[in-house]
Amino acid sequence: MASSAVAREAVLALRREIARIEGTLPERLETPAGMPARHDAWLPTGAARLDALLGGGLARAALTEIHGGETRDAVAVAGFALALAGLLLKRTGKAGAPVLWVGTAEIFREAGFPHAAGLAASFGIAADELILAEAPKLADALWVAEEAAALTALSAVVLEVRGNCGRLDLTATRRLHRRAQATGRPVLLLRQAAEAEPTAAPVRLLVSPAPAAPRHTLAGPLAGSIGRPAFTVAVGKCPAALPGRFILEWNPDEHQFRERNATESRTKDPVAMVSLSGGGKGAAAAPGQVVAFPPAASRPPRPQPPREQHPPHRRAGRKG
Amino acid sequence: MGLADARAMHPGLDVVEADADADRRLLEGLADWCDRYTPLVALDGEDALFLDVTGCAALFGGERAMLDGMLARFFQQGFEARAAIASTAGAAWAAARFRGRLVVAPGEEEALLSPLPLAALRIETQTRAALQSVGLRTAGAVMAMPRAPLARRFGAGLLLRLDQALGRLDEAISPRLPVALLSAERQLAEPVTLTDDVEALTQMLAATLKSGLERRGEGARTLALSLFRVDGAVSRIAIGTSRPLRDPALIRRLFHEKLAAIGESLDAGYGFDLVRLSVLAAAPFAARQADLAGAADEGEDGLALFADRVRARLGEGAVLRPVAVESHLPERAVALLPFAWAVKSEAPLRKPHPADRRDRIRVPRPVPVLPPERPIRLFRQPEPIEVPATEMPEGPPLRFRWRRALHRVAHAEGPERIAPEWWLDDAGAKAPTRDYYRVEDVEGRRYWLYRQGLHEAGEPSPRWFMHGIFP
Repeated sequence: MASSAVAREAVLALRREIARIEGTLPERLETPAGMPARHDAWLPTGAARLDALLGGGLARAALTEIHGGETRDAVAVAGFALALAGLLLKRTGKAGAPVLWVGTAEIFREAGFPHAAGLAASFGIAADELILAEAPKLADALWVAEEAAALTALSAVVLEVRGNCGRLDLTATRRLHRRAQATGRPVLLLRQAAEAEPTAAPVRLLVSPAPAAPRHTLAGPLAGSIGRPAFTVAVGKCPAALPGRFILEWNPDEHQFRERNATESRTKDPVAMVSLSGGGKGAAAAPGQVVAFPPAASRPPRPQPPREQHPPHRRAGRKG
Repeated sequence: MGLADARAMHPGLDVVEADADADRRLLEGLADWCDRYTPLVALDGEDALFLDVTGCAALFGGERAMLDGMLARFFQQGFEARAAIASTAGAAWAAARFRGRLVVAPGEEEALLSPLPLAALRIETQTRAALQSVGLRTAGAVMAMPRAPLARRFGAGLLLRLDQALGRLDEAISPRLPVALLSAERQLAEPVTLTDDVEALTQMLAATLKSGLERRGEGARTLALSLFRVDGAVSRIAIGTSRPLRDPALIRRLFHEKLAAIGESLDAGYGFDLVRLSVLAAAPFAARQADLAGAADEGEDGLALFADRVRARLGEGAVLRPVAVESHLPERAVALLPFAWAVKSEAPLRKPHPADRRDRIRVPRPVPVLPPERPIRLFRQPEPIEVPATEMPEGPPLRFRWRRALHRVAHAEGPERIAPEWWLDDAGAKAPTRDYYRVEDVEGRRYWLYRQGLHEAGEPSPRWFMHGIFP
């Protein structure tokens, strides 16, 4: 309608004015909801629901925070971040723009040092597209990440730290975010074994490991095998301000994520070592007279509820 | 005489134990300090220094003024020194030891040496004793004799020393430190203590060096900054770059990072009164034409400068680049090289060509086959885990304890047997064989662990280790 067109004109004029005051370009301002954004401002991850929640995918010119619960989950967090970096490298297609992975000596000692052969096999990041930096202290790692975030010669910067510390507060993260916006390259902040605290990142994801899918052969899924890696991604903070929890499977051959439905859970009873007897089909017939009970074979086994819905005293494994 | 006798004669004697190492270090410190006069400084014995001041005397107002100034500074620092300047090393040696403060004009060496005893000629004790037994007691007497009988009787070493002292043969001094390609220095009337002032001076000196580098068509790869303190201590700070560098502002930034990293260790004391910037290594500089818009094409240069700054602040091993290496052992399959090294991945089984550049590292690229599944994180030292029971003696574990947490295995894949590289003749070749398993626990974490060794009768049971983690 005419009034909406007038309103839109007013909004655009205001944006230009604000951009002029801030000394930046109108396209570089934060995109409010409802305005058309640049087509390549987002990196679609491949999981439709996650992309919808994030507003199109991973923001290309912003700081994204990815949390991990324990140090044991550090590999899941790093794997998710590097999968996104691999997607970014495939998308840009420009040879020779490497990804920088900065970490403190502490996290590299606790969770392991990055192995380029595995990264190449799983996420398609070649050895010459990766640069690793190890800093003895957190302050040094933060300085390296800030300097790297201002470079246009890198595709992405991944900063990995452990624990909650006062250094990564609103000020430091805002500096990282501004530099990411200025260069148009994403900065991924991985916080291992940390509680969520207020930062300037527009998106925060919580990643934990999920059971892998079985390998698929021509004869069907191979029981007991470990196939494609999977991650449980929960959205902590996003522009749409809605919660979400997804289990994403990563396809290393096609380099894309796929969301796993709740019905595709791996095993019914994950505690069992031995495969279930399949409803008693192979059991020997009970001796004695058959009474008026239906035969065991015709009764399907009762499906167990998914693991998350177990009451706390029946939950498997131990946390912490 | 013994110590007791000396103490008996003078009860108030102060006795200090001789420390040869400390004396050596002191001499090296003095040699560092003499670097302000000339870069060619050599230690001579335990108590003397050789300085090659060819061409340097004009900077200090002539040879006489330089000698006086040097001796005055030694006196102010609390040393008693004797020095002499001559055209040959032998004459200078003799003049310093036997004459004290002296400048020997060229051509006067013979007149200087003639009255001196034989020790002034730096010859061995046996030759000296033999000469004295014959009746030649002064250097002049030796010089007056005919040469051939001297050589026949006392050896060629005597004539060598004579010729060196008189200037007929050249004698070279081997300096302690490598001589820089280019050097610029600044004497300060008022000593500086602040780091900012040092950085500003560095930028000025780098601007002076830039013209010299431009004339040679090169850029600096290694730069060294020498700071001479007023009380004699010398600090040297070196930086390396991954690309040839000429711009003074960038050189200043690199030194800023290095000085920030050194921080408190750089003690200015009462201040620095001489600052020198030297280029130790240079490489051809490829000048690129910037476009008319003046937009700085950062790209590779920005990345190289960033890596240099991180390296200056955090050390050599801070920024690493992984390179695939031909090896099936997981810990050797990837080599981590510093960013500054120019690595070229070449085709495997390539014969080295004589025209290959020496400053590049050539790594044969592994032949691409179906890549095995490898974890994305690997522990530098595999961590031991406890495995209480396995399904079969040679199978994957049912549960294991790692870092004091019990993990129950839901699925396992394997084994992948990796044997040590027996064709290499090192200690690793005797290591036991490893059987690797990919296991997944009930919570969905995937690990890569191995059993070291095989079950054998009579041997202790093999141990298990955790090597890496899968995403």
